[in-house]
Amino acid sequence: MLPEYYEFLCPVKILSGLKALSNLTFEMELLGVKKALIVTDKGVSDAGLIKTVKKAFGGSKCEIGAIYDKTPPDSGTDIVNEVAKLFLDKKCDCFIAVGGGSSIDTAKCANMIVVEGTNDLMKFQGVERLTKPLKPFVVIPTTAGTGSEVTSAAVIYDRKNKTKLAFASGLLFPDIAILDPKMTVTMPPKITAATGMDALTHAVEAYYCLQKNPVSDAYAIAAIRLVFDSLLDSTLKPKDEKKRLAMLNASLLAGIAFSNSLVGVVHGIAHATGGVARVPHGIANSILLPFGMENNYDKAGDLIAELAPFMGATTTGSKLDQAKSAVAAVRELANELKAASGLPTKLSEAGVKKDQLEEIAKTAINDGSCTMNPEDITYEVALDIIKQAF
Amino acid sequence: MEKNESVHKPSLAYRLKKAVVGTALIAFGATFEKVSKKDEVIIEELKDWEEGLVLSLGVLPFGPAISMKKKDGYVKYLGRGYKEDPSLKILFKNVDSAFLAFTGQMGNHTAFAQHRALVHGSLIDGIKANRVMGLVQTYLLPGIVLNKIFKRPPKYTFKQLLLKGYLYLTFPITFSMNMWK
Repeated sequence: MLPEYYEFLCPVKILSGLKALSNLTFEMELLGVKKALIVTDKGVSDAGLIKTVKKAFGGSKCEIGAIYDKTPPDSGTDIVNEVAKLFLDKKCDCFIAVGGGSSIDTAKCANMIVVEGTNDLMKFQGVERLTKPLKPFVVIPTTAGTGSEVTSAAVIYDRKNKTKLAFASGLLFPDIAILDPKMTVTMPPKITAATGMDALTHAVEAYYCLQKNPVSDAYAIAAIRLVFDSLLDSTLKPKDEKKRLAMLNASLLAGIAFSNSLVGVVHGIAHATGGVARVPHGIANSILLPFGMENNYDKAGDLIAELAPFMGATTTGSKLDQAKSAVAAVRELANELKAASGLPTKLSEAGVKKDQLEEIAKTAINDGSCTMNPEDITYEVALDIIKQAF
Repeated sequence: MEKNESVHKPSLAYRLKKAVVGTALIAFGATFEKVSKKDEVIIEELKDWEEGLVLSLGVLPFGPAISMKKKDGYVKYLGRGYKEDPSLKILFKNVDSAFLAFTGQMGNHTAFAQHRALVHGSLIDGIKANRVMGLVQTYLLPGIVLNKIFKRPPKYTFKQLLLKGYLYLTFPITFSMNMWK
């Protein structure tokens, strides 16, 4: 059924393939730039992935102005200011983020500072507050889960005020996303499983949450099919580039879906679990997804049932039966990934302590994702889900 | 209020909707101030708001707006317009969208889901404000409307029902005392 009104935006050019990275400098020239600042983290650098990116510059007129490889997992305003300064000092003209969500968001925020000519990001908090187009921005993901290469949002930690700053703007979309499986084959099995389940959560929640629309539905379903087809294989056989590429595409498709339709209670609680108990986002999503789906049987059971065939689940019986079989398929996949990689399936296995559950629930209800959940999420409802997942 | 620099003359329908929204905003601000001192759930929610936080509700680009401030643990209605440099703004993109929300045709969550409203400022503060605004709406709108626009119909305690009745009875006085602020 069509929503009364919806909006959809994804202006990102996508390059996907076994040697997609070879087109990097051609695309830079098309964008009219030739000196890049690469933003990445130490893990990516140590895995030799920056060397792979450097090779792509060989024989071209483009150059690397500087490489910033000190992005921490929860990047902050201090890092962003450092990156922006480096960009200006080295007279770079475009950003290339190589990594996961933190490197990508750091590059997005540094880009904002460079273009808006200020180091006070506070005043850009919220939705659609940017006024100028950003510098050309290329993203090369090294995990297959966040979908940040196609989202219009960025989150950064404000160390001075000890709070997270969140930005959303159509101007924050990267210009180009390059999906090259060479960049993900070194990912360990547990991270492959967790980030893949993150992508699945994006797609599933995008399909049944309040901002869904027919365009985001198409992306969500395509992502779900790819995850069920390729996630277990890419966890078991890390060097399989075709499966890796499939998961990069699943992550991107899910990213486009949720960037436009947003997500629900699973993400709301997963963000809170990350903040309170430091559980990695993909792991928290993976654990919480079946419980979040069950929470929405009453308001969105029919929609969840529609996902069953794309998960290889039973499509007979009532709508509720089909919704339950979709949830069972998600649980089965999570259990297979647990056997393959040690991915936790309970919050207690992920290091959450019983005395943290109430704080997680309290934090979760202030997360924007809960607003877009079909079922009303009160403190009591959130706590109930968390207790079940514990 | 932002300076009106519109090029085209607005239609009569636009001006009527704008007047309705402007009136509804004043009613909302005045009611918020009252219930913030009496409703225990709202009082509890407000404990989580930063003291001195200024919240504005408004309509883009030159539509009506009101401002409120958390003071001494409660909410003070500051009056029409964007007052005291608000750190948090909840803005409707146009009068049509605000009209739907302020006449009980659409819930806040639907307005956000349909990109009709946006937050300028901390998104966490925006979520907290949105939740309390929903609670204030339960005092303004009749049950039949709330059942339609809320995810779950609100449940009142006897004390809350009495407060709602009192607010309905005293509404003309409350409104007239605040309309020129």
